[in-house]
Amino acid sequence: MIRTTSRWRNTLAVALTGISLFSVTAASAAQITVWCWDPNFNGATMEEAFSRYQANNPDDTIKIEIFDKAAMEQKLQAQLASGATDGLPDIVLIEDYRAQKYLQSFPSAFEPLNSHVDYSTFAPYKVELATLNGQTYSIPFDSGVTGYFYRSDLLAEAGFGPADLENITWDQLIEIGKAVKEKTGETLLPIDPTSSDWIRIMLQSAGSWYFDADGNVTIADNPVFKAAVETYQRLMAAGITTPVSGWTEYTGSFTSGKTLSTFSGVWMTATIKANPDQAGKWGVAPSPRLDGVEGASNASNLGGSSWYVLSSAPEKEKAIDFLTTIWAQDVDFYQEILVNQGALGSLLAAREGEAYQATDDFFGGQPVWQNFSSWLAEIPSVNYGIFTEEADTATVAQIPAITSGGNVDEIIAAIDAQVRQQIQ
Amino acid sequence: MSSPLALLGRAGTYLLLSLAAFVSIFPFFWMVAGATNTSADIIRGKGTPGTALWDNIVKFINSFDMVRVLFNSFLLAGLGTVLTLIVASLAGYGFEMFRSRFREKIFGGLLLMLSIPFAALMIPLFVLMANFKIINTYQAVLLPTIASIFIIFYFRQATKAFPNELRDAARIDGLKEWQIFLYVYMPVMRSTYAAATIIVFMNNWNSYLWPLIVLQTNEMKTLTLVVATLTSGYTPDFGVIMVGAICATLPTLIIFFVLQRRFVEGMLGAVK
Repeated sequence: MIRTTSRWRNTLAVALTGISLFSVTAASAAQITVWCWDPNFNGATMEEAFSRYQANNPDDTIKIEIFDKAAMEQKLQAQLASGATDGLPDIVLIEDYRAQKYLQSFPSAFEPLNSHVDYSTFAPYKVELATLNGQTYSIPFDSGVTGYFYRSDLLAEAGFGPADLENITWDQLIEIGKAVKEKTGETLLPIDPTSSDWIRIMLQSAGSWYFDADGNVTIADNPVFKAAVETYQRLMAAGITTPVSGWTEYTGSFTSGKTLSTFSGVWMTATIKANPDQAGKWGVAPSPRLDGVEGASNASNLGGSSWYVLSSAPEKEKAIDFLTTIWAQDVDFYQEILVNQGALGSLLAAREGEAYQATDDFFGGQPVWQNFSSWLAEIPSVNYGIFTEEADTATVAQIPAITSGGNVDEIIAAIDAQVRQQIQ
Repeated sequence: MSSPLALLGRAGTYLLLSLAAFVSIFPFFWMVAGATNTSADIIRGKGTPGTALWDNIVKFINSFDMVRVLFNSFLLAGLGTVLTLIVASLAGYGFEMFRSRFREKIFGGLLLMLSIPFAALMIPLFVLMANFKIINTYQAVLLPTIASIFIIFYFRQATKAFPNELRDAARIDGLKEWQIFLYVYMPVMRSTYAAATIIVFMNNWNSYLWPLIVLQTNEMKTLTLVVATLTSGYTPDFGVIMVGAICATLPTLIIFFVLQRRFVEGMLGAVK
C-alpha cells in the first residue's frame, strides 16, 4: 500500500512538472482554440488554413474542438449568458442565419474586425449579415450560393438542355417540370414539407426577408413574400414534386434518380458528387427568379457560416493575425479548400485562381466554380435579423395549408401573426 | 378444454405482443445491421447485414481518442454512481430512521426542488463552477449530480420497509449507528442498491447537456458527446454513428442484465 502511494506520488510529481513546463512553453507560443461543427468541412478547412499560417509562425499551434452544431450553439449561448469567459475559444464558427442573434444578444462578446480587414474583398451579402451599427465582426467563410442541380441526362431525354434552364423564372421551371412529367413520367423535384428552405431561397433572391433592414417584421405587407408563397403553391399544384421527409430522404431522392433535380446551396455539390457512378450526368444552372417581382434575381443563398473572434479570447491578437493573413487574402488557400473540401469561400478574388477556373467533368465539363462565384457576387444583401428561426417555424406550420391550396392572404396573415406573437 | 373464443383471444394477445416486441426490437436490429453497412447503403434503406463492419469500427476508433473517451465515460458514470448511492442511501436512511421536527419540511422542500427544470439551473451552476475554477474537470461534472433527490426519495421509500426489529437487535448486540448502516442496512437493502445502480448508472452514462456545457476539451469528452459529434457535419457517416450507438448502449444493457433479478426485487420492495 505504502509503495503504491509513493509511486503515485512520483507520477503526480512528474505530471506536475510536465504541466509547469507546458505553461512555460505556452507563454512564448500561442495556441489558438477554435470551435466548429464539421470535422470534414469547416474543421478540415481550418486545419488547412493553419498549416499555411504555421509555415511562417512555426511556434504557434491550433486546437480545433468539434461539436455537434446544435450542441455548440447551446454551449456557446449558455456560456456567454453566464458571463464566465473561462474556457471560451478564440475563434468560433457561427451560422449566418444566427449571426445577428449573437451579435445583438451579447453586444461586447465579439471583436469588431473593421480595422484589420478590407471587407470590400468579400461578397457584400456576407459582410452585411455580420454588420451591426457600422461594425463588422466576421471573417466570412463558406457561402451557400444557390444553384439548380439537375440530371442533365434525364432532362435531355425529355428534350431540355442547359440553355433551357439558363436565367429562367420559377413559372418557366414549372412548365418544364410538367413537360418532363408528360414525356417521361419522371418527377422533377423532391420537396420537404417540414422545411422552409425554398421560401427562404425565393425571398433572398429578390432581396427580401422576413424582416426589413431595421429588423421589423415584413411578412403580411411584403409582395415578395406573397409571390414566394404563391410560387410554392403553384409548384405543389403542378404535380411535379414528390414529398420527402427529412434530410436523408431528401438527398436520397435526387441522388438515387427518383427525382431529377433540386435547388440548394453550393455545398450540396459534395453530396451529389459522392455518387461517382453519376459522373457526367449532372448539370448546374442558376436558381430561378420570382415572376413579376421587383428586384428578382437569379442568385440566392441557403445557409453558410462565418468565423468570429471573441473579445475575451486569450490569444485574440494572434487569432486576428491568423484570420487576416490566411482567410482574408490567401487566394491559393481558397483553391486548396475548394479542391479538397468542396468549400466555396466568400473571398471574391479567389475566383482568379486555378481551381476556380477549372471545369468539372462530373458536371459535363461546365465551369461550375466560375458560375457559382459569379452568382455569389450577385446575391442580394438582406437582414437576417434575430428571429429567422421563429419565422421559419411559423412558415413551416403553414406549409400544409399552402400545399392543400389554401387562401394565400389568410396563410400569410397567420404566419405574420405567429411571428409577431413569438417575438414580442 | 378452452373454447374457440378463448383460443381466438389468446391468438389476438400473442399477435399484439409480437407486434409490440417487433416495435421495441426493430430499432436495435436496425442499429446492429446499420453498423455493418456503409453510409450510402443505410440511406438507401438497406436493413440486412453488410460487410462494412470492420471499416466502420476502424473509422469510429480513429475519429477520437477512444481509450480516453471510454475512460472518461466509465470513470464519470462509475464514480458518479458510487458517490450518489452513498450519499442518497445515507440520506434515505437518515430521513426515515431519525425523527426531527423539521424532517418532513426539509423532505418536502427537497421534493419541491425536483420540479425545477435543469435548464433553469444550468447557467447559475456554470457560473458557480467557473468561480470554483473547476470548469473542464471531472469534479464539475460529478458535483451537481451526486445529491440526486429522486434517489434519496427512492431510498427513503425503500427504508420504510426495513424492519426496526433488526435495528433494535443490532443495538442490543452493541453496534454503533454507522455499523448498523454498514453491516445490517446495506446487506438487507442490496436489491434497492441494485435497482438504484441501474437507474443512476444509466442517467450518468447517458448524461449529455451538463457535460456538454462544462467540459471544454476533446480529452475530457464522454462517449455520449462523441456520438453526438459524429452526427454533426453536413455528410454524417451513418455506419460509424451506428457503431458509436452500439458502444453507447452496450454498458447499460450489460449492467441491466447483470442486475436484472435484483432490479425487479428492488422495485417490488427490498425486504421480504
